[in-house]
Amino acid sequence: MADEIKVALLGQPNSGKSTLFNTLTGAHQHVGNWPGKTVEKKDGYFVHGSRKYLVSDLPGSYGLSANSDEEVITRDAIAGEDADLVCVLADASQLERNLFMLADIAGIRTPLLLVLTMIDVAEDQGKKIDVELLAKRLNIPVTAIVAPDKKTYGDFFEKLDQALNHPTLLDTTALFRLFSEGESKALYAEALELVPKTGIDRFSKEWLAIKLLEQDEVVSAKIAVKAGIEPVRKFVSAAKDGALYAGDCKFAWIETVLDGVAVKTKEPSKLLTRFDRAAIHRFWGKPIAIGIIILGLIMSMIAAAPFMGVAALIPSSLGSLIGRLTDFGVSQDLISFINSTVVLALSWTISMLGFVFGINLVFGLIEEIGYMARVSYVFDHTMSKLGLQGKSVMPMLISVGCTIGGAAGTRVVDSWGQRILTIALVWAVPCGATFAVIPTLATAFFGWGGILVMILLFLIMFLHIFITAKIFGRTLSPVAERTGLIMELPPYHKPRWGAMFMMTLNRVWEIFKKAFVIVFIVSVLFYFMSYSSSGDVEGSFLYRVGRTIEPVTKIFGLGWQTFLAFVASMVSKEAVLGVLSAIFAGSGNIFSSTVGIAKADANLASLVTSEISKPEALAFMVAVTFNVPCLMALSSTYQESHSLSWTLKIALYYIATALILSMITFHAARLFF
Amino acid sequence: MVVPLTELDTGEKGRIKDISGERRYLSRITSIGLNVGCEIEMLQNVKSRPLLVFGRDTMIALNRSESKHILVEVL
Repeated sequence: MADEIKVALLGQPNSGKSTLFNTLTGAHQHVGNWPGKTVEKKDGYFVHGSRKYLVSDLPGSYGLSANSDEEVITRDAIAGEDADLVCVLADASQLERNLFMLADIAGIRTPLLLVLTMIDVAEDQGKKIDVELLAKRLNIPVTAIVAPDKKTYGDFFEKLDQALNHPTLLDTTALFRLFSEGESKALYAEALELVPKTGIDRFSKEWLAIKLLEQDEVVSAKIAVKAGIEPVRKFVSAAKDGALYAGDCKFAWIETVLDGVAVKTKEPSKLLTRFDRAAIHRFWGKPIAIGIIILGLIMSMIAAAPFMGVAALIPSSLGSLIGRLTDFGVSQDLISFINSTVVLALSWTISMLGFVFGINLVFGLIEEIGYMARVSYVFDHTMSKLGLQGKSVMPMLISVGCTIGGAAGTRVVDSWGQRILTIALVWAVPCGATFAVIPTLATAFFGWGGILVMILLFLIMFLHIFITAKIFGRTLSPVAERTGLIMELPPYHKPRWGAMFMMTLNRVWEIFKKAFVIVFIVSVLFYFMSYSSSGDVEGSFLYRVGRTIEPVTKIFGLGWQTFLAFVASMVSKEAVLGVLSAIFAGSGNIFSSTVGIAKADANLASLVTSEISKPEALAFMVAVTFNVPCLMALSSTYQESHSLSWTLKIALYYIATALILSMITFHAARLFF
Repeated sequence: MVVPLTELDTGEKGRIKDISGERRYLSRITSIGLNVGCEIEMLQNVKSRPLLVFGRDTMIALNRSESKHILVEVL
């Protein structure tokens, strides 16, 4: 490739930035984290003409102040030596507000291209924008697109080439004149005195002075190195209303820039639609949100059904195909190994992808329509107690159905730290499989008292969520950085089914490649650990380990049998009954019980009640419920966090807390039984 | 009449006269589009819910306790 061009996308939330990124790069994406930071890094590329464009989707924020890691990373990326061009996105239907980002970047000496999005929405609202005049006033190329519709990109590509062939800097004269002539001009002049005359790298002296005026900690520290700590500290403490002054100047500049550029041809229709009145209503808001989330869950299941169907067919169809390998002299042991690992991993991964696909598609659409912001609004008060934004309520509700889906659903949560925190909490919510297993056991041991066991589990769940939020919140959503809600509730948009469908499919394929490997490795490990040449439980490695460490597990209230079942429940919750059955009734080996091939013994209830004491049973149920949900949830967590270390941290935390809860339950229960 | 934003009733309109608070808050509220002089309409003001205002062509949800420091002139 002749040229590699580095392009960064910058825009406020809801500006269509991610849509543009996805449309441009398609499947050529890489999502990771900024080194050492809890901020997501999205890169991709596309080829147009003779150039290869390396695109980075910068974190969405309303401005470029040092309010969060996201914003500091963003502005450093923009001003980086290797940034060739920054595309600033602005929603054409709310141009005044969206151009704040342009006013905030003004003075960073990186070539710009202004991309107006939702030009169709603006036209619907009767707003006409003179793109040519705007470009002339700003001295940078300006283009208008409909982000999800690639057919509207013709002019965008032209202007992109123009911006690269003749790079121009934003005309900032008018903006800086406002600063030097306004009511706090003395303060601004003083700031200009403090900063280096030639700026720092691509940050011009004016940009630095304005940030100093805004009391920006990062810039203050930078300037203090050059101008001395004391003068900077004195200036910053005097600049109390600096941020307000800067805001006024920026909006005043935007108003002059837009004067005659944006023309309203008709008045906007009603501000609040009837649906919105209900969606934000103080009584109806929450029930409507919960209703829509449940409906979304059902729709996701429907979207997932084809995947599930394929996944269910794989073990029998592919399995029998592999079974025929005996004709070619392949040993029975090898075939059973392949069937129990490769084939099963394939089947599980595909069914997991079903969930991920369904949840991402349906909730991606609900997000795109603009409804998730309403959910955030109605649940803000409740969820902020956990250090989370209101949207986090959605993954938690989904988790009652399935933790895999819950983890996948955290994608709508805007900040990475809060997303990981939400996942950590989502794991504590008992899933559908738990509801299938625990009541069976609870009734077997306690009859009608089983209901009390379920109530106990729910009480523990609330406590667990509360404590986990405290522990993980310390680093993932630090109290010092928690700020009250300031969020736009965007107007509703028409969903783009086709684009969203393709994007989700792309993403699912990426996830498949990574997830399959993980699931395969764990399957192989578990296969060997539970392998027994005789077919009995006693022949397996797990049994020997379980027996050896029984004195330790006894502390947690678990004998070797229940401890084995506890370990198996990390792979799959449904496994618990089968594994207990394998151990107590000899109904098959641990592996096939765990992966669901062998069914639970019909007499399981009477068998386990005679072998396990009530305190142990209660401790076991608690341990299983709050254990790692399942292998696929683990994998789904890794996909969403793209951080192996956080995934393992959460997993180890859950194993440890499950055992501690089990210990407490066991010793408490012994006082009663 | 100048009142804190939290006392603007649903349906009332106002113009922002003053915003006070720590630096972070000031820059966040400014960057979403609310600054001194900006005209707003209260869309919903009910207990234990964030305020919902309409300003600069969009709906904005604002935390209650911080909004006490936004002073508006009732229009």
